[in-house]
Amino acid sequence: MGTEYPNSPAIPSRPASPFSVPQSSTPFKSSGPVVGPEASAFRHAPPSSSQITPPSSSYGSMVGTEASAFRTIPSGMPNGAARPPPTSGFPNMPPAAGPYQHFPAPQFSSIAQVPPPRTSLAGQPVLWPPVRPVSGSFSTSPVSLNPTQPPPVQMGSPPQSGSMVQPDPVAPRSPIDSQFSAARATMQLSSPTAGSVYPVARPSFQSSFPGYISQQTTAGAQAQPRQSLAFHPKPGGYVPPMPAASSPYFAQQGGYAAPPSVASQLGHPREQIRHPGSTHPMAVMQGLVEDFSSFSIGSVPGSFDSGLDSKVLPRPLEGDLERNTLSEMFPLNCSSRYLRLTTSGIPNSQSLASRWHLPLGAVVCPLAEAPNGEEVPVVNFAQTGIIRCKRCRTYVNPYVTFTDGGRKWRCNSCALLNDVPGEYFAHLDASGRRIDLDQRPELTKGSVEFIAPTDYMVRPPMPPLYFFLIDVSAVRSGMLEVVAQTIKSCLDNLLGFSRTQIGFITYDSTLHFYNMKSSLNQPQMMVMSDLDDVFIPLPDDLVVNLSESRTVVDAFLDSFPSMFQENTNVESAFGPALRAAFMVMSQLGGKLLIFQHSLPSLGVGRLRLRGDDIRVYGTDKEHILRIPEDPFYKQMAADFTKNQVAVNVYGFSDKYTDLATLGTLAKYTGGQVYYYPSFQAAVHKDKLCHELARDITRETAWESVMRIRCGKGVRFTTYHGNFMLRSTDLIALPAVDCDKAYAMQLSLEETLLTSQTVYFQVALLYTSSSGERRIRVHTAAAPVVADLGEMYRMADTGAIISLFTRLAIEKTLTSKLEEARKSVQLRIVKALREYRNLHAVQHRLGGRMIYPESLKCLPLYGLAICKSIALRGGYANAQPDERCAAGYTMMALPVKKMLKLLYPQLIRIDEYLLKKTSLAEDSKDKGIWKGLPLAAGSLDPQGLYLYDDGFRFVLWFGSMLSPDRVKNLLGENFAADYSKVSLRELDNEISRNLMGLLNKYRESDSSYYQLSYLVRQGEKPREGYFLLTNLIEDPVGGANGYLDWIMQLHRQVQQNA
Amino acid sequence: MGDILIWLLFFFIVIAILVMLIFQLICLTDLEFDYINPYDTASQINRVVLPEFITQGVLCFLYLIRGHWAMLLYCVPYLYYNVRLYMQRRHLIDVTEIFNMLYWEKKQRIFKLGHIVILLLISLFWVIYSALEDDELDL
Repeated sequence: MGTEYPNSPAIPSRPASPFSVPQSSTPFKSSGPVVGPEASAFRHAPPSSSQITPPSSSYGSMVGTEASAFRTIPSGMPNGAARPPPTSGFPNMPPAAGPYQHFPAPQFSSIAQVPPPRTSLAGQPVLWPPVRPVSGSFSTSPVSLNPTQPPPVQMGSPPQSGSMVQPDPVAPRSPIDSQFSAARATMQLSSPTAGSVYPVARPSFQSSFPGYISQQTTAGAQAQPRQSLAFHPKPGGYVPPMPAASSPYFAQQGGYAAPPSVASQLGHPREQIRHPGSTHPMAVMQGLVEDFSSFSIGSVPGSFDSGLDSKVLPRPLEGDLERNTLSEMFPLNCSSRYLRLTTSGIPNSQSLASRWHLPLGAVVCPLAEAPNGEEVPVVNFAQTGIIRCKRCRTYVNPYVTFTDGGRKWRCNSCALLNDVPGEYFAHLDASGRRIDLDQRPELTKGSVEFIAPTDYMVRPPMPPLYFFLIDVSAVRSGMLEVVAQTIKSCLDNLLGFSRTQIGFITYDSTLHFYNMKSSLNQPQMMVMSDLDDVFIPLPDDLVVNLSESRTVVDAFLDSFPSMFQENTNVESAFGPALRAAFMVMSQLGGKLLIFQHSLPSLGVGRLRLRGDDIRVYGTDKEHILRIPEDPFYKQMAADFTKNQVAVNVYGFSDKYTDLATLGTLAKYTGGQVYYYPSFQAAVHKDKLCHELARDITRETAWESVMRIRCGKGVRFTTYHGNFMLRSTDLIALPAVDCDKAYAMQLSLEETLLTSQTVYFQVALLYTSSSGERRIRVHTAAAPVVADLGEMYRMADTGAIISLFTRLAIEKTLTSKLEEARKSVQLRIVKALREYRNLHAVQHRLGGRMIYPESLKCLPLYGLAICKSIALRGGYANAQPDERCAAGYTMMALPVKKMLKLLYPQLIRIDEYLLKKTSLAEDSKDKGIWKGLPLAAGSLDPQGLYLYDDGFRFVLWFGSMLSPDRVKNLLGENFAADYSKVSLRELDNEISRNLMGLLNKYRESDSSYYQLSYLVRQGEKPREGYFLLTNLIEDPVGGANGYLDWIMQLHRQVQQNA
Repeated sequence: MGDILIWLLFFFIVIAILVMLIFQLICLTDLEFDYINPYDTASQINRVVLPEFITQGVLCFLYLIRGHWAMLLYCVPYLYYNVRLYMQRRHLIDVTEIFNMLYWEKKQRIFKLGHIVILLLISLFWVIYSALEDDELDL
């Protein structure tokens, strides 16, 4: 959200404080109220000022913030300046308060140049060189505005009175535009009050009142403010994202160049700061929504320069707004890949915790893929045994301290003094460090892996075992061929070479077992038709060692698709097959992959059609559709977990297969649900191939358990994700891999925490594919804070959203969708209200919406959660199976992936494709990959857009896109129905570029394969289905658009504030 | 003499229900402190859930045919609650969600326990009362 908007409609009464003050870095003091008016938007651009760079195009997305900067503030009071700024506001803030801290110097610095208040600049436009923000601070550009003359309004759009909402659909798209509009709106409001309008450039976020200049303008002034600068007037069109380089600053400068004509004005140049993030749609709301404090925070400025940042800038949502405050504070912590806390500041009392309405907890991804060079070091203690605290069982970690000449170590978590075993002893140097510290990764790294001795085994380490349970009933989709081919091609890459075990069962109305003993040439098939009393025909040879029986397995995979090609049996004895698989696997455990093509119809666990009853929706029984119908499945899932079997479910049907029930198997065994609705080999082959291959070849931790410990006084109470709890705090994970994350919430056990720091330690005990028992330990420290503002400052939107999503999905299992959505909204409202209460008194916020910088995207993500497939709408908005599959998938997603799914990336690629750039250069060019706001206004009919949510690509062809280009991309059948056209590489530059681009995106995150869907503008059902319903900033199907959502939140926040 | 026997019967039935409830609570507490695993907990508790429901139903039935309206009235809410749980298929412990439900399951059983303890005291009163009454008659 727009972070930095300065904000609030200015209150006339509060004139800006003398400038001097602001300059002095106390901008805060006077805060806020005043500011508002200046809506950033208005810069007056003097027409004459040639200097001004046209803000327009250059602004690109970035602009928004800047724009804000300019706002002129109409402060009616001449006197105003004179008045002392209301100091109360900011000064009070605890110094610590994050946002504020940042503000300081940089912003104001520019101010200094500003003429003293009241001094008239004599109309000279002051141009400030754009300041590049240094280290994240905002650059401030001074602006002098001349209010007097009404500059021609470029915008052309009259100020809209009062209505915050922009008429322009486009608005969201171009932040700039939106800002202006917003600005205008604000202006109007404010201006009336103020007798004279002072244009003030404001630093955006700040509520720096002081800063604004009060210039006395003549009467005309009010009108002026409206004028937006050069910004693109065009309402609808959005501005194509400019290359980052064009910085907003320029624009501002230009703006400043305001014509001298103004009589006595003080131009106030305030610099503005822009936050990259701020630009986004929130800007629209600006008047309403500004956040003050937050804004200033450091978002960063440097973004303009580097391509990467610019990409990040505009979208609040740029994937992950992760901030590294914690790792700066505690450099020895494990990477945030592995552990993310919803807020790094742990509340020191229960009463403080109860005021934190967001989830308090962590998201853990114990096996996250580490980039090259950052692999987790492996430590073998051999005879010493693993060093742990005797009392709290904490593993030795970088935060333990050695004392007594190195003979004792103090546990960081419970402060117990433990003896150092003889073999582990090392002397301490003068500063108390062990002399062998450099050779001890467990004492220097937050993440480490110990080789576990036999005490950590209840049985010999299991070999990797893959068991395939395949539904062969009347399958015509080509699924069998794809599965067989994929498995066959992966046989060489399966984990645990030479120890790998493999087995198959197929079923329709009967069960088929395959004897693959190595002495045979061909697999022997045994058919069992008694479904009531399933037994295993051969005790030993149904699961075989892959390397020994390789030829038999190959022969089986070659022949079995053709064997069942003509099968006309439509029944599916899924339950009995599951039992048989359980019996086969129960000795060893392993991974069970289920390929289910139809609704289980025979034997135990048969299911019936449900979910097509529209009347159920909206009633109290609605949630029953999302929970397993037959307790058999839960019981089986529990038994599987107990026997170390992880189940992955692949669903293929176009008809209802009750994934809500089948998915239970995956949910409680640490597995995953893959769903390919209406699977057709021709279309989905690549996706299934890739995902199945990844599933069986990615590094996996077998028969594992995970526990997360934390210091005294804090306890993890609830866990969310796909797994089963084995005891109150022990997560059983038969198989876990890098694509799975788990969330948990903590609570305080003591009313008051006395320690300064809380330590978290995630320990995952597992068997590696090579047959070694290992313990992976991640340690992190987090400070205990006594102040709610500090908690907000250290909040991590990604982790919060990840937890929110899981909580909301769990809620859909016990209540209506509507209620789940409401609960998300309610918690966001409560959190914002609490935050508002923190600041409202001091700052007289009036109608502004404020939120902490760290949570600027929270409302948008909240909206995205409500519009995600798992939670959206009602009966008509998603198939029950699709909804459940999405729910199961989201419960396991790591934070980054989740954020991407919630707020996908939308980029315009047609211009890029035309460029000659080779892919190698693109890394430098990242600047062009600015994400666009997810709104229909972002789509230009002349463009080609790529929508990427991490699970699929949607290519949107504008209706006015040149036919040649389309032809180049799609070949001869470019005019055909896009649902039948598949994208493949053609022999021309554009097509190669496109395919290269898509592949690059796929490689950047290989956990899922994004299949490309082509959509033409205006192509009715498809466009809506693939793209329009996913443009979450638009109001679709009765749901709120982003703007309405914010308004709604804002209203609710204020209601009981 | 008949009265005292029937009251004694009621008394022992109530004791039986009490024992089953306490057993369930012990299992849940053990689970909480990690003395037994969720699988065993669930199977042990589930084994006695239905007997508990049935015994309580029988007790109500006996009150009914003996015409002890006040006692019956006291027991009906408990019976209704059991029937409702059973109809909703929520009477058994779900091993997969046992930890999430732990708090609720315990609370529910503690309330039941309180109810039954009061019933036990009343029954005890009736046993003694009817014994004394018999004595008086003998005199």
